[in-house]
Amino acid sequence: MIKNIKYIVFMLVFCSLLACESQFEDIKPTAGIEEKIALSSDKNIKSLLVGAYDAFTGSRLLGGYYQLHAELLAGDPVARDIRWRGTFADPGEVFTKTMLVTNGDASAAWLNSYNAINVVNTILANLSTVNEQERATVEGEALFIRGSIYFELVRLFGKQYNVNTSQNDLGVPLVTTPASLANFVEAKPNRASVAAIYTQILADLTKAEELLPTSNGFYANKFVAAAMLSRVYLQRSEFAAARDAANRVIRPGSYTLLVDYAFCFNNIKNTVEDIFAAQITVQDGVNNMSTFFGGRNIGGRGDVQVLAPHLNLYETGDARRAFFYTDPGTGRIHTGKWKDVVAANINIIRLAEMYLTRAECNFRLNTSVGAPPVEDINRIRTRAGLRALATADLTLDRILRERQLELAFEGQRIHDIKRTGGRVGSRNFSDPKLIFPIPDREIKSNANLTQNEGY
Amino acid sequence: MKKLLLTGIFSVFLLGYLFAQSRTISGTVTSSEDKATLPGVNVVAKGTNVGVVTDIEGKYKLSVPAGVTKLVFTFVGFVTQEVEIGNREMIDLALEADTKQLSEVVVVGYGTQKKADITGNIASVSGKEVQNLPVTSFEGALQGRAAGVFIEQGNGKLGQAMKMRIRGASSVSASNQPLFVIDGIPVTSQSQSGSGADTNPLADLNFNDVESFEVLKDAASAAIYGARAANGVVLITTKKGKAGKTKVSINALSGVSNPTRRREFLNAEQYLSFYTEALTNAGFDQAEIDDFFGFYAVDTDFKKREVETNWQNEIFKKNAGFNQLDVSLNGGTDKTKFYLSTSSLDQNGILVGNRFQRQSIRLNLDHSITDKLKIGLNMNFVRSYNRRLAPDNEFSSPMQIVALPPITPVRKKTGQLVDETDGLPYYNPLVELENAYYKTTSFRTFTNSYLSYEITKGLTARGEFGFDMLNQNEDRFQGTVTQAGRGAGGTGVGTSRIVQVLNYTTKAYLNYNKTLSKHAIDITGGMEFQRSQTDRTESQGQGITVDQLQKLVSAPKITSGSSELTGFAFLSYFARANYKFNNRYLVSATVRYDGSTRFGETNRFGTFPSISAGWIISEEGFMKSIKPTLSFLKIKGSYGLTGNAEIGNFSQLPLYNGVGYAEIGGIRPNQLGNPNLKWEKTTQVDLGLEFGLFEDRISGDVTYFQKDTRDLLLNIPIAGTNGFATQFKNIGAMKNWGWEIGINSNNLVGELKWNTSLNMTFPQNQVTDLGGLPIIDTGGSRYMNVAQVGQPIGAFLGVEYRGVDPKNGDALYDLNDGSGATTTSFNTAFRNAKILGNPNPTFYGGITNNFSYKGFDLSIFFQWVSGNQIHNAAGLFMSSSGYYEDNQTTDQLRRWQKEGDITDIPKATYFGGNGFAGRISRHLSDGSYLRLKTLTLGYNVPSNFLKKISLETVRFYVTGQNLLTFTKYTGWDPEVNTDFLATNIFQGVDFYAAPQSKTVTIGLNIGF
Repeated sequence: MIKNIKYIVFMLVFCSLLACESQFEDIKPTAGIEEKIALSSDKNIKSLLVGAYDAFTGSRLLGGYYQLHAELLAGDPVARDIRWRGTFADPGEVFTKTMLVTNGDASAAWLNSYNAINVVNTILANLSTVNEQERATVEGEALFIRGSIYFELVRLFGKQYNVNTSQNDLGVPLVTTPASLANFVEAKPNRASVAAIYTQILADLTKAEELLPTSNGFYANKFVAAAMLSRVYLQRSEFAAARDAANRVIRPGSYTLLVDYAFCFNNIKNTVEDIFAAQITVQDGVNNMSTFFGGRNIGGRGDVQVLAPHLNLYETGDARRAFFYTDPGTGRIHTGKWKDVVAANINIIRLAEMYLTRAECNFRLNTSVGAPPVEDINRIRTRAGLRALATADLTLDRILRERQLELAFEGQRIHDIKRTGGRVGSRNFSDPKLIFPIPDREIKSNANLTQNEGY
Repeated sequence: MKKLLLTGIFSVFLLGYLFAQSRTISGTVTSSEDKATLPGVNVVAKGTNVGVVTDIEGKYKLSVPAGVTKLVFTFVGFVTQEVEIGNREMIDLALEADTKQLSEVVVVGYGTQKKADITGNIASVSGKEVQNLPVTSFEGALQGRAAGVFIEQGNGKLGQAMKMRIRGASSVSASNQPLFVIDGIPVTSQSQSGSGADTNPLADLNFNDVESFEVLKDAASAAIYGARAANGVVLITTKKGKAGKTKVSINALSGVSNPTRRREFLNAEQYLSFYTEALTNAGFDQAEIDDFFGFYAVDTDFKKREVETNWQNEIFKKNAGFNQLDVSLNGGTDKTKFYLSTSSLDQNGILVGNRFQRQSIRLNLDHSITDKLKIGLNMNFVRSYNRRLAPDNEFSSPMQIVALPPITPVRKKTGQLVDETDGLPYYNPLVELENAYYKTTSFRTFTNSYLSYEITKGLTARGEFGFDMLNQNEDRFQGTVTQAGRGAGGTGVGTSRIVQVLNYTTKAYLNYNKTLSKHAIDITGGMEFQRSQTDRTESQGQGITVDQLQKLVSAPKITSGSSELTGFAFLSYFARANYKFNNRYLVSATVRYDGSTRFGETNRFGTFPSISAGWIISEEGFMKSIKPTLSFLKIKGSYGLTGNAEIGNFSQLPLYNGVGYAEIGGIRPNQLGNPNLKWEKTTQVDLGLEFGLFEDRISGDVTYFQKDTRDLLLNIPIAGTNGFATQFKNIGAMKNWGWEIGINSNNLVGELKWNTSLNMTFPQNQVTDLGGLPIIDTGGSRYMNVAQVGQPIGAFLGVEYRGVDPKNGDALYDLNDGSGATTTSFNTAFRNAKILGNPNPTFYGGITNNFSYKGFDLSIFFQWVSGNQIHNAAGLFMSSSGYYEDNQTTDQLRRWQKEGDITDIPKATYFGGNGFAGRISRHLSDGSYLRLKTLTLGYNVPSNFLKKISLETVRFYVTGQNLLTFTKYTGWDPEVNTDFLATNIFQGVDFYAAPQSKTVTIGLNIGF
């Protein structure tokens, strides 16, 4: 027995190896924190705001796809001003206006936009945690982001704003409260009307302009909100409001047109012309504009090829025409605006756009708020190396053409076509195929949604 | 007379002497199987207690008393043999292994059990059966060898993840792979790959070290592994040392591999005429067409037909080498036994740039401190190296080279490879192969130790401690001219990723067994704790200007870096009781109480019970009369509950993750929590019948199973307006059911031996509930696999392609509105999309025929899969009526060209979109196949010859793997699932996946 006890002790020592670490408590995620900690302090809510910018400028949003979709929808396979040469089927469908309800880009745009909206809604619901002196700025930035995203969503998934019908036209679901991660209850909202979404956008951006400071680094400031507001008003053909908002951006002189058009793009820091730009660094973010618009020789996919009908729109001597380049390998012509996949910022709003907006609105309203329209247009023209126009030569078409060329491939085209009642090849601006389908995955998980016409 | 008398007396004397004296008989005893000498064999003169034991060289010398006419040879594990002495003085004997007795003991969870007593359902494959097969990992070797076990290698790239489904898929979002347990330690089997192509950590095991594989299929056998047993459990037991003379075995294997099949593409002439037509139909004029081809011809003149490139020749290696050398030693004394092995494998992939190497050392040691106290240690150190290729969907993946036009030269006149910067439609994968590498090196240690103590007779306590350490280093460099390098401004890009997985298990349990007259009980109970911790570090840098400087130390710009620690733990208590009455009535019950860090606070622990019973009818008295015919008959049944816990480590938590914007740190909501998250539950019924005929010359079993899984761990799609696309919930249900049949037959038993073993499985799978959703469809426009209620998981949802309108060459789609009408609009047709096929086979199996005659043996193994479809998702590019500029498959030659043409290939139009849709039956085909999986022919050199050179065994053999494949699939290989996409739902998709390899090896095995 004594002998046996020895072995039993041996056995117990061996087995004690077993019991010593039988615990669960120290197994915790290292790459994430729980919601209650995440929302517990001033510092964390501000970190969440950085996260909101990260979401807002993500690949599927301002990181490139919002703008790519706007340009591809405006591209006409028949007129052949641009051509989608990529192998990704989803943008290909956007270009050929044959989108399926299962189109992956449509659902990615939807999901990522609402994901970003949830981030800002979370900030807005936890403002009381933010230090009082910075609260207004945090709120203003969050509102700016939310309003801007809804503006993209309503234009992508809903009909063009029309003062007479938008009360009844379906927009997108309006979500202004955050999801609780810990105590989640799924909501299945209806599509709000286009008018209701615009009401929210205007409320968000107006309040943002009011709350934001005049200077805020590369984050949104008062002028950024005003500039976005001018875009919204212009989309609604509310020219006076659009003009005044643009004027509020231009007048204080915080921004200046660069001397050379070519200097505006492919910069790793904002220039004095940039009102707002998605910040891309080697570490954070991807410049997907360069991915799709850039030639293979600069590391892009060379997917968007610019063809002669577009190039022929430029007058002789236009510096913006000379800005296109040919990929020597593929022979394809690409815009020179997006040539750095890795580290260049993506221009979202440039001062040039404000001049163009102010000029167009002043012209339409026959006013000269800030400056006579010809003066604003000539600023843009002379910078491009073109002769100045006489007041008598100025027409709305010329202004719109100037806008088209100045802002080409910056994600504005389809929206301008729609608000001005233009055409995409044989399609009228109101063609249902110029609107995205509500993603199939969304219809299947929310029975309260109605599909768009034509899908 | 006197002389005669004397002679007579002498003769009588002599005779008397002969009769009265014992004789001395000597000889050598060997094993008939491997001709190895057998030490320790009991040799007894029949009818006496005179006997000896053979010495270390198998020799014996025995004085046989007068009157004895027979010798009896007995040895554990061999058939006892009686031999007539006659007037021989030298009797050499080869003992036959008692295969029946050997297979009688089966490894079960936390113990072993006699096969006849098992009431659960366990498929057993001996290590010997798959020894020396020229494949990388044991799953590849087990393919087709057991009923209810479906194994698929989705790709011919080496060391990649394998799909293993035991009785089907039970989950939509959690893993469907079984739990793998090596010598009692649940090992890390999930891919640790940093790229989209999953790798297989189980390829680290040298399966020539394996004694047996046991697949626990039903609830009764698997439920003792509780929360992780719903997908079945694979128990792998490595070889142990045997007392006696040290035996050395050397095995050398060498051979070559080639792709099983190739796909046919247009040649230069066909390409030119096809695309001239496609471009013309798209409105291109002659100058534009010349321009189009001119670019692809690079610096050659396509008009002169200067180039004819078959791109497949550039990426498939001819006769890729395979070499393996194994040396093992095995021996010891009664107190200490060992098994020591070393192995070196060097396998070249069929694709250029793909290579897998493995070096392994194993020592298995068992020592008896006293009769009652035993200790043991198994240690296995492995280094594996994998020179990898990009995932199937990347342009740099070699298989994508087939998209390049045949009019393009491989190299420019300057000698440089052509590339997309020269006008090619795509990146040339050869540029990647020549200017980049992607190496994964793993250091793996499988170790376990035990201590067992027999407290009293029948009661044994056992403690085990073991760990599985995986250290993986992925080293990638993409040179200045690669696609990635161009994206980095024409500089080299380096990536380093290191993963360490420390996974350890401790357990302690008691076993008690006792037989009291007709009652036999066997009880096991104990606890187990497992913890696994994964530490990942990754960094990437660029800016390298000199291609020879390939490590991050030379990268001036570090573009990303991250590290993460994650882990999980399981704490479990388990018990099993077996009761047998009168050798014929069997009852067994098991229970496991499992807790895991992966689940919500409120549902951290779960209980998983099972019961089973069996009746050996053939032991009954009333069966005696027919016993010569029906030698064995048993019926059995089991029912139990198992769980699935294979989801992410923290899926239950409401988490915010760290992010950055403009190099400023921030946070973002990352996942919705679920405090109630718990195991997925599978209840399984198993009803089986085992039989033996003609003294077990023919034996077999028939089983029906049904697995019902509920509370699915479903990452269920939610309305995206909530800010998230999915939430993990316990919702939904799935069902698997089917039949399994196994038959073994010794057709011929004489000098010419022939036996056949056949296994067949008829599985069915159905998704029965998705938490109220009718369907989960994440296929987008390209892929068709969905989870739809009422359908098998991964069923193909799309539109039926109805061919071509003879009038205008338009592709026609079935409207599926009951009218039978067609439309040219895919969008319209897709509104009524329907299920077009099933990627899951409904019948699979294998049949082996073994022949042996004198020193020769021949084994022929066929394996098949049937009833499934394959979706060639790359058809959108390679068989798409010239939508893109990709070279087309030869079926496009029969395209519609003029009014009246009756064909199934629409009119070719560049970027025309005619028949261009991912989700149509046009790219779906029958995926059934029958394969001559393994053919082995061996010759054993006779032992009498070997003795002269002091060897025991010498065997030469030739093995062919995947020699013949019969299928209707026109792609590369019907055993396919593209790597970047593979999930529970995405199955049976071909997207430039590499074909399987056809390997022929010659081997030499020497034993002494």
